[in-house]
Amino acid sequence: MILVTEQIDRICALDILRKKLGCEWPSIETSLKATEQTKERLAIILLGNERRLLSEDANFTAFGSLARGEWTTGSDLDWTYLIDGESNPEHLPIAQRITELLEEAGFCKPGPTETFGNMAFSHEIIHQIGGQNDTNRNMTQRILLLLESIPIANRSAYNRVIAGILYRYLQEDTSFITSYGKETKIPRFLLNDIVRFWRTMAVDFASKQRERAGDGWALRNLKLRMSRKLIFVSGLLTCFSCLHDSSATIRGLTFDKGEVIENLVNHLKRYVNSTPLEIVARSIDIYGASDATAEKLFTSYDAFLQKLNDPEVREHLKRLKSDGAAASPVFQGMRQISHVFQDALTELFFGSTKLFELVKHYGVF
Amino acid sequence: MRPIGFSTGALAYSDFRKGLMILRRAKITVVELSALRQMELRPLADAINLLDFSPFKYVSVHAPSQLQEGTEAETVNLLITLAERGLPIVVHPDVISNFALWRKLGRLLFIENMDKRKKTGRTAIELAQAFESLPEASLCFDLGHARQVDPTMSEAVLILERFGDRLGQLHISDVNARSTHDPLTAAAILAFRRISHLIPDHIPVVLESPVSEDRVEIELASSRDALPAKSSKVNSNYLTGSASSG
Repeated sequence: MILVTEQIDRICALDILRKKLGCEWPSIETSLKATEQTKERLAIILLGNERRLLSEDANFTAFGSLARGEWTTGSDLDWTYLIDGESNPEHLPIAQRITELLEEAGFCKPGPTETFGNMAFSHEIIHQIGGQNDTNRNMTQRILLLLESIPIANRSAYNRVIAGILYRYLQEDTSFITSYGKETKIPRFLLNDIVRFWRTMAVDFASKQRERAGDGWALRNLKLRMSRKLIFVSGLLTCFSCLHDSSATIRGLTFDKGEVIENLVNHLKRYVNSTPLEIVARSIDIYGASDATAEKLFTSYDAFLQKLNDPEVREHLKRLKSDGAAASPVFQGMRQISHVFQDALTELFFGSTKLFELVKHYGVF
Repeated sequence: MRPIGFSTGALAYSDFRKGLMILRRAKITVVELSALRQMELRPLADAINLLDFSPFKYVSVHAPSQLQEGTEAETVNLLITLAERGLPIVVHPDVISNFALWRKLGRLLFIENMDKRKKTGRTAIELAQAFESLPEASLCFDLGHARQVDPTMSEAVLILERFGDRLGQLHISDVNARSTHDPLTAAAILAFRRISHLIPDHIPVVLESPVSEDRVEIELASSRDALPAKSSKVNSNYLTGSASSG
């Protein structure tokens, strides 16, 4: 056993919900087990045979399905060599060696945008939020660090970067540093960037369709409907949790005493350390969503994972372009799953008075 | 005014007598006797009854940060002789293998939070594991280490929230990228100021900044900027020098 299992504070709500509803969700369970096995495998690749590719200042960080705990057969491995420390010319050859090792081990390469599969530096990610220098790549890495990322084997640099990003969003959020509006403390700066990211993903979907002449259209379409929508939802719920989660980390904060930012960073870290499905399960409890809504939401997501875990289905979807989608029973079946998922989300967000109010206040304008 | 002093090791490497002499000349009443290297502990224990601590209001001892194999029991016994004089013993949690031995030091055992190089004792969760095995132990909170582990100081807040009732002593200094102690910088001072209100005024503060004797007063002034007393009515804005209500 080489995997470093450092204790972290995270949300554990999915098992409680599963037991309450008496549901199985076998594909969620299967993909979670596959995730743990893959993390173990990666740790061996990165640290085995006395390879010292990682340090307290340079961590391997995975994104995508692995970070969401949803690893399926054929999943891409999106990763960065996240550096938070002294500049070192050796970082590039190390990142290149990691690329080789992962290819040798048979991991699918990250997408062609080059957002992943190379080095990422904490200074850009933390300091360049908004403005001309906040490129699409920088914004994507930063928001995905918050919404779906996981360090493998060593997490010290990762932890510092996460805290730094969260601190930046809260430090410059006037609703936290002024005394008015004490009743509604939602991190608006963070919320706006999460919304921006979601809209960017949707816009880039169209852009990629053009650039890649339709290649991979069906798979990207379904991911946008399901897994990418899920991380947007979990991001919204993370922001809203600052107001409504009664967990120990946030209880009793005094917003008017200037002690709130570090405490809120700690609260938000707990959410960042959790998978999107755990965050949604926790929110179902917080907002009192009906059992029927919860079952619909997780059962549809389970069905999505089951389909993605089928190599034939995945291969079909990879090759399917938009003009063939209407005639594809596979795509149409998965599109139907996405509609059920969307219905459940609509019920969650608009069926609860508290959430509905938040969506009205913060979701659109 | 907070009680602030130095580690002897910061003022005079491996020479506690010289460190004490510098502190006496500067009329500083807080000292931590450094035995960070194991070979320094025996001479310190042998000399302890001969040293004049009358100018000092607070004296603690820093235990070795690494132990040779098979010497843990012998080391703890030496430390017990120092603790019997009422001296708190600061120890790194990663040094401890046999918790039962160290438990004998009771509340005078001060567990220090660690820098990023260590595999344990860095965060609130990791410290909880040490305190679970050492239920009576106190906390020596190293602000430089806490800031290195999390520059936003959010983990520091978490540690103080969870273990503030165990807080017995502070270490302060800057800690650089190579995890060695440096004199306080503006960035460190700004970070420490943000959480200074969580630290009671009476807790002894030990500077670990390596400085020469002529820089002692300057470093003390910096430490007062970093940790303004909770009881002070006005806090100046450190960077601009302007005054604001505190």
